[in-house]
Amino acid sequence: MAVFMDLNVPFLPDRSDLRSVVETAAHLGFSTIALNYVFEPTAKKKQEIPTPTPINELIDQLPMVQGRSRPIRVLNRLTVLMSDASHFRPNAPEYRCFDLLAVQPTSEKLFHAACMVYDIDIICVPMTEKLPFFFKRAPINGAIDRGVVFEVSYSAAIRDSTMRRYTIANAVSLMESCKGKSVILSSAAQKALELRGPYDVTNLALLFGLSDGDAKEAVSSTCRAALLHAETRRTASGIIYTTRSQREAPQGSEDGRFESSHLYRRYRCLCCVAIELQWNKVMMSESNTPSGLYYWIVIYA
Amino acid sequence: RVRNAERCARFATRSSTRVKHEGAVSTVQVSVLLPECSSAPSHLDSVLNNFSSFYLIKKLPVYELLDRHFLETAVYHGAVFGLSYRTRIDEDNCVALMPNGHLTLSLDKDSFEILGFEGKPSRFKHRTATRFVVSVDLTDSSMAPGRRSYLRLLTSLKSRLQLQTDFLLSHHPGGGASIQPLLSRCDWSQHRPEVNCRVLTNLPCPAPLSCDPHSFLEWLGAVDAGISCENSSSSFLSSFVCPEPNTMHRHALSVSVSGLLLPHDIHRLLQELRRYVEQPRLASWVSMTVRGFADSPVSCSNHEHGFLRGGENFYTLMMFHDHTYQLHLAMGAHDVCPP
Repeated sequence: MAVFMDLNVPFLPDRSDLRSVVETAAHLGFSTIALNYVFEPTAKKKQEIPTPTPINELIDQLPMVQGRSRPIRVLNRLTVLMSDASHFRPNAPEYRCFDLLAVQPTSEKLFHAACMVYDIDIICVPMTEKLPFFFKRAPINGAIDRGVVFEVSYSAAIRDSTMRRYTIANAVSLMESCKGKSVILSSAAQKALELRGPYDVTNLALLFGLSDGDAKEAVSSTCRAALLHAETRRTASGIIYTTRSQREAPQGSEDGRFESSHLYRRYRCLCCVAIELQWNKVMMSESNTPSGLYYWIVIYA
Repeated sequence: RVRNAERCARFATRSSTRVKHEGAVSTVQVSVLLPECSSAPSHLDSVLNNFSSFYLIKKLPVYELLDRHFLETAVYHGAVFGLSYRTRIDEDNCVALMPNGHLTLSLDKDSFEILGFEGKPSRFKHRTATRFVVSVDLTDSSMAPGRRSYLRLLTSLKSRLQLQTDFLLSHHPGGGASIQPLLSRCDWSQHRPEVNCRVLTNLPCPAPLSCDPHSFLEWLGAVDAGISCENSSSSFLSSFVCPEPNTMHRHALSVSVSGLLLPHDIHRLLQELRRYVEQPRLASWVSMTVRGFADSPVSCSNHEHGFLRGGENFYTLMMFHDHTYQLHLAMGAHDVCPP
């Protein structure tokens, strides 16, 4: 079993509101949450994809999860509301600073493309309106094979009774098509009061037609699978994982940097060598640069 | 397959002069209800206040439980019992050390694969096994210090998976000295079980033998949690009612003891309650509920315990004036009912 996660906590610009939401989530027992930055591109003016604020600027001390002895883990996620195929740009560099990537399609064609083609982790199913399209088995099975999960959010059901009908109807039709696999449940809570504890969410999932075990997985193991899928996507199929550490510059050093294109070529070269020789694990030691930054290159297949 | 039975509740009515106590080893709470009693009699009071104390060790590295000296002085004599604290059985790694020398580690998939010791997948799996149980008998000759399996487990816990949890430790009376060396290496604090006494007035009590056991158990739980069963009309309608037929008792005493409690203390309490109920009194019954830890990897009789939506594993003993008793046993969905 995995820890309980809530992968859709909308980012609130007001810092105290956000802090209260994170504290409530920790108190309820969620060990990991993901702050959701929603990006809605419109044809009218060019908009920029938001960059995530580092979590230590938002909250000083992360609260402890109730019943465990660890602080809550906060991740960053981007949701792109797609009304046109050009809205999602694959491999855009702005996507790299987010831990999770999600897409909310609004038409059948976009849904099909999101399931089969796009390099994303989560597909959001709209809960606040009647579904504009029907779910077909083929794209859903394609998405499940690729490791993409479908997300159902429940806080709309808490806010309004009409939304409650739409939420239940849409969720039930999703469960019929996907048979309860690869579904995650999350709040899209605008306030701390709209969050519910993991076992309550499990009970809610029973209403949507999931079985006991599937419902519990929707809040724990499937979320973990989505996170691992995201990590794999970010690290080129889990082959290259790079981390940068700061070290004090030695005396009399100059402030020089490697060009990023030079490093990128070096990484690609190492990656190809590793695949060719079928190495299971290669750990390169640090390269001491004059600027005092050193890069570890860990290659594992 | 019907897996919707949330509770596997059974009750058995027996008549015997000796009640054999073989209950859950890891007990977190004992609640006693004495109807028609306004204050605890002195013998009962002294038993309740003399439960053994236990220790809470912060961040105990689990390989310390395999320390040779600790094994020889404490574990082999069956004197210690320990459980990991603030770890959830369905989220984290849990550790339990039983008096019979069994060390049980309930690990998630990543930790189990890192540990690299033999283990079995949990019985309560959904589609794929995500939880694994490593159960080791420390008194077995293959786990003697110096043997291959022992060294393998020790190196796994020391270097591969450095498992560290907060740990609750208790020892049988007289075994205090054996755990002192272990405690001296760690950050520990001693605690006494907490005793709460409440006198309830004007309590409607159902007649235990004449009503359905499920509703009686529910009523008992409501009394223990302080939930009113009056069902008066207000903006919130509660469905908890006292089962019919019921009689009104002027007083009742509800006592609960919480902490890490050992079987021999519970046994003494049981004997004291039996002596109490045998004397002629207004009320003819007494009930004692023993609850196990919701997050313990093992429940009674060394069976595996899990947590689906609730981790309850408790039993309620109803003792009557005429030497008969009723046993109600309740388990959650991820539990094995003892025979």
